[in-house]
Parts: sequence; structure tokens; C-alpha cells
Amino acid sequence: MSIFRKHKSIVDRAASDRARHKKKIDKAIKESIKDVIAEESIIGQNGKKKIRIPVRGLREYRFVYGNNESNKSVGSGGEHSLKKGQKVGKNRGEKAKGQGTGKASDQKGDEYYDVEVTLEELAEYLFNDLELPDLEKKQFRFVSHETIKRKGYRFKGIRPRLSKKETLKRKIRRQKIAEKVGTYDPESDERFPFHKDDLKYHHIKPKIKENSTAVIFFLMDVSGSMSQERKFLARSFFFLLYQFLNHKYDQVEVVFISHSTQAKRVSEDDFFRVGTHGGTIISSCLDLELDVVEKEYHPNSWNIYSFYCGDGENWSTDNEKCLDLFKQIKEISQLTGYCEINEHYRGLADEVDEDDIFYGTPWGTFSAWKNEEMDNLWSKLNPLCDNRFRRIMIGQPEHIWRAFHGLFGGKTAQ
Amino acid sequence: MSTWTEADLLHWDEKILRVADDLGLDWHPIDYEIIDYQEMLGAMAYVGLPTHYRHWSYGKEYERTHTLYNMGQTGLPYEMIINSNPSIAYLMRENALYIHLLTMAHCVGHSDFFKNNRMFADTNPDNIISSFKSAAKYVRKLIEDPSIGIDRVETILDAAHSIKYQVPRYPGITYKTTQDIIEGEKKKMEADPSYITDLTKVPLEPEYNILRFISEHSKHLKEWERNLLLIVEESSKYFIPQALTKVMNEGWACTIHYKIINELNLPDNLHLPFIKLHNQVVRPHLGQINPYHLGYKLFEKLIEEHGFEEAKTIRAVHNDITFLRAYVDESFMRDMNYFSYSFKKEKKSLTIDDVSDTSGWTRVRDELIQNTGLNRIPIVYIEEIEKDNTLALKHEHDGRDLELKYAEKVFGYIRTLWGDNVKLISVVENEIWEF
Repeated sequence: MSIFRKHKSIVDRAASDRARHKKKIDKAIKESIKDVIAEESIIGQNGKKKIRIPVRGLREYRFVYGNNESNKSVGSGGEHSLKKGQKVGKNRGEKAKGQGTGKASDQKGDEYYDVEVTLEELAEYLFNDLELPDLEKKQFRFVSHETIKRKGYRFKGIRPRLSKKETLKRKIRRQKIAEKVGTYDPESDERFPFHKDDLKYHHIKPKIKENSTAVIFFLMDVSGSMSQERKFLARSFFFLLYQFLNHKYDQVEVVFISHSTQAKRVSEDDFFRVGTHGGTIISSCLDLELDVVEKEYHPNSWNIYSFYCGDGENWSTDNEKCLDLFKQIKEISQLTGYCEINEHYRGLADEVDEDDIFYGTPWGTFSAWKNEEMDNLWSKLNPLCDNRFRRIMIGQPEHIWRAFHGLFGGKTAQ
Repeated sequence: MSTWTEADLLHWDEKILRVADDLGLDWHPIDYEIIDYQEMLGAMAYVGLPTHYRHWSYGKEYERTHTLYNMGQTGLPYEMIINSNPSIAYLMRENALYIHLLTMAHCVGHSDFFKNNRMFADTNPDNIISSFKSAAKYVRKLIEDPSIGIDRVETILDAAHSIKYQVPRYPGITYKTTQDIIEGEKKKMEADPSYITDLTKVPLEPEYNILRFISEHSKHLKEWERNLLLIVEESSKYFIPQALTKVMNEGWACTIHYKIINELNLPDNLHLPFIKLHNQVVRPHLGQINPYHLGYKLFEKLIEEHGFEEAKTIRAVHNDITFLRAYVDESFMRDMNYFSYSFKKEKKSLTIDDVSDTSGWTRVRDELIQNTGLNRIPIVYIEEIEKDNTLALKHEHDGRDLELKYAEKVFGYIRTLWGDNVKLISVVENEIWEF
């Protein structure tokens, strides 16, 4: 005789392991995002767009056989008549076509999760990592300007600040008292005049107003030397910057300026798509930025961020001018970034101290391939570098996140 | 919805057991737990064991099944039974009576198989629940220990799980510590002076129990870390017989439930849905091997040819590999319409290599055996500890290459456990490959 009993336990026994698993997924998402940010498909999307992030690291690895030809699978053909050499499916990992949910747990499975997140959530994940409190103090001094606010009343003041309402109230009060004590008869034709003591003036106080609007200047070199790959890296980097600042400010406007020997303000589409040609005069776009700032974005009411991205090649005669303009831009910007795309730069990202990467000069072989006619803007900018002016170098997609971290991660230069 | 009472279950249980008795089956008594679907998900995540230790991978398994179930991609199992004495089996409250009858008859088949098949000889069904329980307790204690904590426990468990199948595959192989081996060899040498062995080589012979070996020989693991490896090894030893006999076990249980239910003289309103469900369980899965189908059909053929008594002997002495090797013949392969296929680079598609015709059936059968149970898991063994304490491992290459991405990860895990240098030799695309 078997025994039948109702399950006694009411606790959800998998709960803690599920919670632990969830935690690991969250962590894995954060780690994967660093790879995902350089994916073409997510750049230039709006905030609501869902992105699929393949999350790795939750796979349970074991020794398994690979997909080489000597590793054959076997299946049933059911009622079908089959021939040697017949094709039964396309994908490597896939089982031959068929139904059923055979759980091949000892096979190499694609055990990654496709987690769907919106860009906004992605930004959350990304930027929560960045030790924002520290950063807030250093990089996010919102621009402020004094405005004047009325606060209370005073008996003394200048004529234009006279408060008619308060003055009248005081006069009425005095009139009523006078009526009560009988010194004034309202029935009489006599006027009850204003007295000097009735006069009240608005008091004003200066108030500091913070502006939560930002404008980002994206400046990019589109000269002939900027290949598609270089532009792609620049674009990924800009995308990340945009998302980040968007995350911080109520309102973000973006100005795109591309330049070769001349600078041009362009639309986002053109910025990223228009082909490259011509020589390089970096100062042209810096000039244009200052011009646009003057006309449209007064530094008192806008938080200005300026990021330049290029391959570092410039006409040497232009470098002095650039330095000067970068100085001016630095003065008006919350943060100015000079980003050099250089695929010869291998990052050493994991071996070298962060300071070396972001503040040091690029390593040895670098100058060898550089056109001797042009000298190095990177080293020219050295004196400008501090926590409001940063240089970064990107060689590969993996560097983007590191570079970004270097920009905002709170570490300041000496 | 289900319109049954516990009295119904008791009523039919008695009849089922009487038929089973008449068939000469010998099973552990069965305790059925009646649970809802969420509890079933929980039970599945922990492979049925009510006292399994915790690890995030079981949470993942739960979520996975839950998602698939919610998406309608998978049903929940009708039955789940644990190899213990008494056997613990789960019945899902939501199921209809005829499903329960099939499940109960099926469980008798499994329990009989657990009790009689010799692969299970070392699984210790009397104490398995409590030994899992004390392991779970131990793991919990480590997690709660402030000087250890969950992260360090997971580091070891994650690594140990990666080699959980790298243990001996057949019963009767007991692990010998180096001390045991040396003493044994010394005795042999004393008895026979011409017998010479190199006692400095560790291990003396290839060692397949990697978990146990590392636990014994690692110079860096702490006591609790060694114990965790032993816990994982212990649980592998319990599960490996089930992996070795999946086809036979399911085939036998299906054979038994079919026999029993047909003896019950069920009214049509129970019998017709039963037949339908049975056929669904033992149907072929296109392009795959359905172990229920394969095992059921092969036992059906054997009973037809040799009788039920002979089938009972077969269920006691074989495992899947010997079972298929001994009894699959050309006509069976033709009936099953099995074919082998692989990914062809030049065609960029999965392409049939052989079909079960006169010239091809033996090759398909061999591939079938290669794809059965533990044959799908590569064998890696310990060759020796080298002078600088490098742990030298070898993969027994049988034509199938390792998946390198996975192997590299596992290699890393082994290094974590060993703490010193590790090397692993394999063959990849006909070249010696060293990790």
C-alpha cells in the first residue's frame, strides 16, 4: 500500500536560490553592457527602444563535445523516408528539425539569457556604477546665475518697488481705527489721505538658480583619414556620452559639428553618415562651437559639454590655434573632452594604471607611424588637462567603457 | 478540472499494486506527495530531492522551467520519482485522475528498476534523503559562517559542478587514496619480488575521480573546501546511475504502466484518454532520440521474442550502452527509422550521414550508442602530478573534439580548485592540443 499525503511545506524552497540567481543575472547584465555599448544596433535609438542583451556568465560549463563533423547526432525519422546526404537543418547548434522539447542537458546549449532592457534602464545599469555622489560634486556643478526674488516687505525702499497693495491695506487699517475712535467720519466729504507711514516696499533678495539644461557639442573630424571604423568608435563614444548626460539633466540639446578643413553644423544623421574627405583643420570646428555658444547657448544658462573626437592628425600650423581655442572652450564648459581614435593604441587597459592610460602619452610605437609633418596635438594639450579637460584615447570598442569611466569615474588629475 | 478524491487514488493504488505483484515486480514502497504546479517546479529544480543543498543553478533551473512552462513550450512532467527507500514520488494536484493512474503505474516501474538494476547497487536508497540533508545543512552552515560566506562557497561549488561528471561511471569502483595504493603495491612487491612499480608516481594508474583526487591532493584547499568537493562527488555518484540507464529506466516504466493499466479494466472514460496519453509519451521525436520511445520499443521487442521473465533479467543486469549494443538489430533500426547527421561546413547545414538501411544501420547504431547517456560526456582523467605540482590531465579522445570554449572554462575551474599549475592534453582537428 502506498502512502498519499499532501505536501506539508508552504515555503517556496527555491526562493533563495532564485534570488541569488537574479543577483547574478543583474551582475552579468552590467558586465555584458560594456560589450553591448559598442554594438551598432543600439546607437542612435531613442530611450524607449528595447535592446536585447545576451547575458553571459550564467552558463554552467562542463566538458562537452564540439560541433566537429565527427561528432554526429542521431535522430528518428518518424514516417519520413530519408536519404544519405539530405539536408535536415541549417544551424550548427540546432537539432535536426522536429518537435519535442528534448532537454539535452549534457549538450552544449546556448544558455545565455536575452534580457530585454530599454535604453533608459541600460543607462541606469551603466551609470549607477560610476560613483555618482563623488562625481556630482566634481563634474556636475550645474551652471548657476543670480536671479532676484521678492521676499517680504520693508518700510524703506526705492520708489519702483512700492507695494501698492500693502500700502493700501495699511491705509485702510488706519482709516478703520480712525473711524472707531471717532477722529474720522466716513460720511463726511473729507478725504482720508495716505500718510508717509503707510508706504511699504517690496524687499528683494538675490537667489542662485541652478540650470538643469545642458547642451552637448559633439565635434568630429570627418577628414579623409577618418575611416568607417574610426567613425564607428567615435560614434559609440558619443552615444554613451549622450545617454549619460541625458540621464543627468532635465533637458539636453545636442549640437553636431563636423569638420575637415572647414566646419559645418549638421544634423545627427549627417553627422554619422556623411562620408569623409579632405584635410584636417581642427580649429575650424572649435571656432564654430564658440560662435554657436555665443549666439544660442549662453554659458550662464546652459551647462556646456564639449567633446571632440578625431584621429589626432592636424595641420601642424593649426595646433597653436587649437590650443588657444580649447582653452576658451574649457573656460565655458563643465567638461571638455579630447578623444583620439587610434587603432594602434592597444589600451593595455588591464595592465596599466588608469592614470597612465588617460593622462600619459600614448606608448612607444605611436609616433613611428605618425605623419612627420604634423606634430602631436595630444601632447600639446597636456597643460590643459585637469578635471575639466580630459584627454582620452580609444583603439578598440573595449576601450570605450574604460575611456568613459576615465571621463566621469571621479578620478581627477593632479 | 480534476474531479478525484484521495479515496480514488487509494482505491486504484491497491489494484495497481496487486497487478504489479502478479507481474513479479519488486519495488520500494512509494510515498506520493500531492503538490501544486509551483511545488512541482521547485521539486524539478532540485531533481526531486526534498533535501538538496542550495546553489544558484537550481534557481536558474526553476526560472528556466517556469518560463518555458508559461510560454507553453513545455509541459510539466507527469511523474517525478526519487531513487530512495521509500521512493518519493510527486503527483500534481491539477492533473486528472487518468493521468494519476498512469503516473502511479509508471512509478512502480521506476521503483522496481531502481531496486533491481545493478547500476544502482551503490546508491544507498535507505539513507540518501538524510545524507543529502546533512550535506545541505553543512552548505548552509558555511554560507552563514561570516568568515566564509556565500561567495566563497559558490566559487568552490561552481568549479566542482563543472567536473561533476568526471567521476567513475560504473558501480563497484571505490576510490583508493594514495596511501591505500602504496600499501597495496608494497604487499604485492613483497609477495612477488619480480613485481616492480614506481611508487613515486601519483596517481599510479589513471584516476577518473577528479573531484575526489583534488580533494585529497590539492595543497591549497581548506578543510571545508575539500568537504564541498566530496559533497558534489557524493551527489554525482547518486545521479550517475540514472544517467546510465535513462533509456532502459523509462522504457521499463512505460512497459510496466502499459501492462498494469491494461489489466485494470478501466472504464472507457479513463481508458481512452490513457491510451492517448501513453501514445504521446512513447512517440518518436523527429530528429531526436526520445528515450521513452526507444526504451519502450526495445523492451516490447524483447518481451515478444524472449518473454517477460527474460526482460526482467535484462532490466536487472544491463545499462543503456550494453542494452543497445546487445539487442538493437537491423530490423529494429529500420522500424525506428534512425539516422545520423552532422554539420557540414561546405554545405553549411546539418546533413544526413547515414540512414538505417542494410549498409548504414550499424554505423547509425554506433552513433546512437555514442549519443546515449554518459557517452555524450567527454572522459577526462588525471595522468599524474608532475614534479612542480602540475596536475596533468588527459582527455580520452574518441574522434569527437572538445568544445574549446567550454573546455577552457572548465580548465580554469580546475585550476581554481587545484591552486597550482594544471595542464590538459587533448586532440583538436587531429593535432595534439594542450591547454
